Amino acid sequence: MSEPGMGNSVRRVGGPDRVTGAQRFTADVAVEDVLHVALVPLDCGRAKIEAIDTSAAVEIEGVIRIFTADDFPRPMPRFGPRFVDRPVIASGEAKYHGDPVAAVVGINKEAAIEGASAVRVEYQELPGVYTIDDALDRGAPLVVDPELRPSDDPLRSTNIRQKWEWGWGDVDSVAADLVVDETYEFPMVTHFSIEPHAFMAMPDDGGVAVWSSIQHPYLLQSTLSELLELPKSKVRVHAPDPGGGFGGKGFPKYEPLVASMALELGRPVRLVLTLEETFQAVRRSNARIRLRTGFARDGQLLYIDAVDDFLMGAYADIAPRVISKSTYFLAGPYKVAAARAVARALMSHTTPSTAFRGFGAPQVAWALESQMDAAARALDIDPVDIRLRNLAAPGEDIVPGDRPADGDWRQSLHIAAERVGWGEPLPPGRGRGIAVGIKASATAGASYCILRILHDGSVSLIAGTSDMGQGARTILTQLVSEHLGVPMERVSLVMGDTAVVPFDYSTSASRSTVFMGNAVVDACRRAIADLVERTARHHGVPIEDVFFTPGQVSVTKTAYTLPQALGVLFGNVPGEIIATGSERGEGSVDHPLGGAASFYEFSCTASEVEVDLETGDYELVKHITVADVGRAINPQHVEMQDEGAAVMGLGHTLMEHLILDDHGRIRNLGALDYRIPTFKDLPASMASVLVENGDGPGPGGAKGSGEGGLLATSPAIAAAITQATGVVIRDLPLTPERVWKAMHGGNDGVRDEETTEGKNSEGD
Amino acid sequence: MSTFDYRRPQSLGEMTELLGRDDAVVLAGGTDLLVGIRRHKVRPALVVDVKSVAEIGNQIDAEKRRLRIGGRVVMSQLTGNEHVDSHFPALGVAASVVGSVQIRNRATLAGNLCNASPAADTAPALLAYAATVTTSGPDGSRTLPVKEFFVGPGSTVLRHGEIVTEVELPIPTEKVGSGFARVTRRKGVDLASVSLVCALESSGRARFGFGAVGPTPLAAETTLDELADDDGWDRLLSITSPISDVRAGADYRRAMLEVHSRRALRAAHDQLEAAR
Amino acid sequence: MSQGERSVTLSVNGAPRTVSVTPSTTLLEMVRTKLELTGSKECCSEGECGACTVILDGEPVNSCLVLALEADGSSVTTIEGAGSGGMTRLQQSFLDAGAVQCGFCIPGMVMAATALLERVPRPTAGEVREGLSGNLCRCGGYARICEAVLEAAGTGGADV
Repeated sequence: MSEPGMGNSVRRVGGPDRVTGAQRFTADVAVEDVLHVALVPLDCGRAKIEAIDTSAAVEIEGVIRIFTADDFPRPMPRFGPRFVDRPVIASGEAKYHGDPVAAVVGINKEAAIEGASAVRVEYQELPGVYTIDDALDRGAPLVVDPELRPSDDPLRSTNIRQKWEWGWGDVDSVAADLVVDETYEFPMVTHFSIEPHAFMAMPDDGGVAVWSSIQHPYLLQSTLSELLELPKSKVRVHAPDPGGGFGGKGFPKYEPLVASMALELGRPVRLVLTLEETFQAVRRSNARIRLRTGFARDGQLLYIDAVDDFLMGAYADIAPRVISKSTYFLAGPYKVAAARAVARALMSHTTPSTAFRGFGAPQVAWALESQMDAAARALDIDPVDIRLRNLAAPGEDIVPGDRPADGDWRQSLHIAAERVGWGEPLPPGRGRGIAVGIKASATAGASYCILRILHDGSVSLIAGTSDMGQGARTILTQLVSEHLGVPMERVSLVMGDTAVVPFDYSTSASRSTVFMGNAVVDACRRAIADLVERTARHHGVPIEDVFFTPGQVSVTKTAYTLPQALGVLFGNVPGEIIATGSERGEGSVDHPLGGAASFYEFSCTASEVEVDLETGDYELVKHITVADVGRAINPQHVEMQDEGAAVMGLGHTLMEHLILDDHGRIRNLGALDYRIPTFKDLPASMASVLVENGDGPGPGGAKGSGEGGLLATSPAIAAAITQATGVVIRDLPLTPERVWKAMHGGNDGVRDEETTEGKNSEGD
Repeated sequence: MSTFDYRRPQSLGEMTELLGRDDAVVLAGGTDLLVGIRRHKVRPALVVDVKSVAEIGNQIDAEKRRLRIGGRVVMSQLTGNEHVDSHFPALGVAASVVGSVQIRNRATLAGNLCNASPAADTAPALLAYAATVTTSGPDGSRTLPVKEFFVGPGSTVLRHGEIVTEVELPIPTEKVGSGFARVTRRKGVDLASVSLVCALESSGRARFGFGAVGPTPLAAETTLDELADDDGWDRLLSITSPISDVRAGADYRRAMLEVHSRRALRAAHDQLEAAR
Repeated sequence: MSQGERSVTLSVNGAPRTVSVTPSTTLLEMVRTKLELTGSKECCSEGECGACTVILDGEPVNSCLVLALEADGSSVTTIEGAGSGGMTRLQQSFLDAGAVQCGFCIPGMVMAATALLERVPRPTAGEVREGLSGNLCRCGGYARICEAVLEAAGTGGADV
């Protein structure tokens, strides 16, 4: 028996299956006679497909059929969450390294792979757009055919897919004692979930049944319904718990292809990506952010003037949303009277960038926090103090007119500083850094659930949140257990099947604790109300005489346990109590982002490093993350997530970047040369601290969490390195080589004395 | 993986015959071969498993003045072996950083040499300790210094049908100090951007082995006196030609080579001093 | 047996099994598709991530880098055989320490840790990190996984 209460670190629901290997991920789902798919990409970035010769491939034993664009209607059907731009399979042109031009279906994986290597493609490499500079070059080829863009789009003849201008106040009229003007780069990194994406489909009940490692089954259902011209009720999406998602499994990728093939062949068809294929399928948008920030002599932030260039891939996916949402919060968690940002979503012939934990906020924080540190150095102000000076207090605006600061953020900063030993003397070669980050949660969305209290008092909760490691199953079970007074072991959770489970917008934006949590609480309340009303009626007493407390129903002077009460209610004829719950955030059409964020996820990172000044190598001595979570329904789960986010942040800070060659090909494809943190890369001392002030909109005052720990990792570690070495680096990752180069006058970074100058300025 | 045949000979004779066939390759630990096959870099028709060949040993034996390491010995056997630890500690360290525990339980020392990556982890140690390689093939058996074994990236002097049966190291009569350095992109399991071993004798003669800074692992010899000259280090390192690749840039490699060589020499020197 | 398939006999989780495989089938593929033991996972297929870790003749190995035919006459333990009915102390420790997030790396972690504890019954935190350094976790659960192993070994109170 486990204590369910809110705030208890009950054991993970679904944990035993995971430690015993019984958990079935999408690639583990057994289906009779399933056929296997292998994809055929080109060894090239952008290329024109001239001819595809499948004659040798079809002769290979075990190869069933080979699909190319010719097997699909003209024009090629397309899909995408923001622009309907992604073809079901490449048609006429392969637009990025890895864009499949054919799909081979075989009787088993071996046959499919052999078939794929026997497909001969004649292609011609075309000049491609592979970098931000390429994308901004007016003479560069266009990634998107202008004909496919609205005729009144002034940017249709450029590789700027979308542009936003945010801001308030009048930046140009503000005089500052110090102007810092720097440009920062954030590299291409990929999600690298340990479970590669997996997809399976088969004809089913006049429609199609699809399995996918997808985070948002209902979005997938919508996409397939439209593409395949089937009513939603005939599109059944099974969503086994993903083996890590981090945003990379949010939106449809190869499901439309697999589903189409399954329907065409009339048989189940499965595609499991190789790890290399996942690098080619998903990544974070890389960015170049130029910031001009004006400060008063005492460190007050007077204005921010930003130019944000984010490089998306060949298909927009959800990246435009990543860019608009993150750049909109250009002042981060600070209050500033004047601000301006021009943000551009650029197209390129590279892996489509998509949602990735942090959703653009790490890129923005990298630039903004590094800038704050530059100002602190120039003004000789402590980095903690300059932040304390400018952080918005609860209720103060961070974007005028929008949701104000909803947490005591200074408190987190104090805690982090204290835990890292800020201000204590440092031996030579050591440095400390501290930084903050903010990420806005969901602005709109809806979650529904169904709650069934069964005859014996056990409960079935039917709720569509995807549990990809963050522990959704556990906390939703905890909520039911707490509100109804039913032991955790008697609550079952049904997830992952659109035919059975009601609509949930998505599992993203750290929204589920709030949105689905509130829906579950709503369902519990309605179930209780229904139980009370029926009980009153059954006993012939007024409703006021029936009381429910968790686990117990009292009727005038008699107390029943919940199972007893149900036994009495359904004494003659069996039954159950069924209730639905929902939480809807309608958003606002007038709001630039479609609605105010339901809450902000705020995090502070403090780090101490020791640098080997001869080699640039460094040790992470201490690493602290502080998360402002409102209320931790399951503290252990929240800490796990925050630590995990911190480790992921170490990835893009220390070692991760996708390296492209001149032909747009990813050179470090695979685990051998794309490095993510391992056991041995952990800081010597690492801690995650939760701040719980009950100031969130979710159950018990909870906010969401899970993205905070990686928002401010880079600027904190970069600042620590700067203190230890005197060099400032504005590009990532901070590899030992990059640090060494900066110390030896390389152009990745410059010695501190050469950076910012104090200027008395009128505008520029 | 593309289809191939698999055989597991019980004798060296059978092995030699099978290896003599077209497109036949040796399978020892499989940690390089299977990766190569998956990536279509190697397309064998026949994979010949060495693990049942009686004449190729799987033991580490110290005898007379030689340490003999059988062709089937895996990396995890080298680490913690008393003979390796007392006479050739840098080899033990090198073996302990090849991949992970899982890899080290399969990867053979012989295989590491035959794969002939310029960054082969055990090569710098074997070079610095003046190891030899013994092979067996259709023309019989031969023994040659490891220094002469490598030809180019991924390429050795092994002829068609020839296989490494043993690696030997001469056990020094006097104490030798060792230094080891390996530069990687992360603290966790990683390939080396630069690796080196220094073996210093009390006479002042220093033998170095370098990895990942040339088309093959490289050996060089010098003395403490020579290194005291202004251009002593430059002369020592002049045999290397580091390049820029996905793992590291040439400038950085060159710089790390010198920094770490000096440190390795210092460590070797300190060891010798401590042993006095 | 299909064309090109050969027979391999080995002990899997204590039970003798005879399976038909093509020569190029890896031990991982055999275990997952022929024996339907899907607990061992496929991720990188190149021995870099450890998700496929099994214990072969007493040693932890990446089963994606072992041909099934190489394992003829051998003894293999997969995650399904880690505990003989019911969970081991190690598995329970993983749960108690909050070491399990998405769970995909966990079978490999449990097998690598099981093998480590057989070899080094009371490891230090450093030895745990070294022993599991071939296993990647993208959810970043390393600190708690290390804690779990130390707890199971009775050397808990991790300094990670």
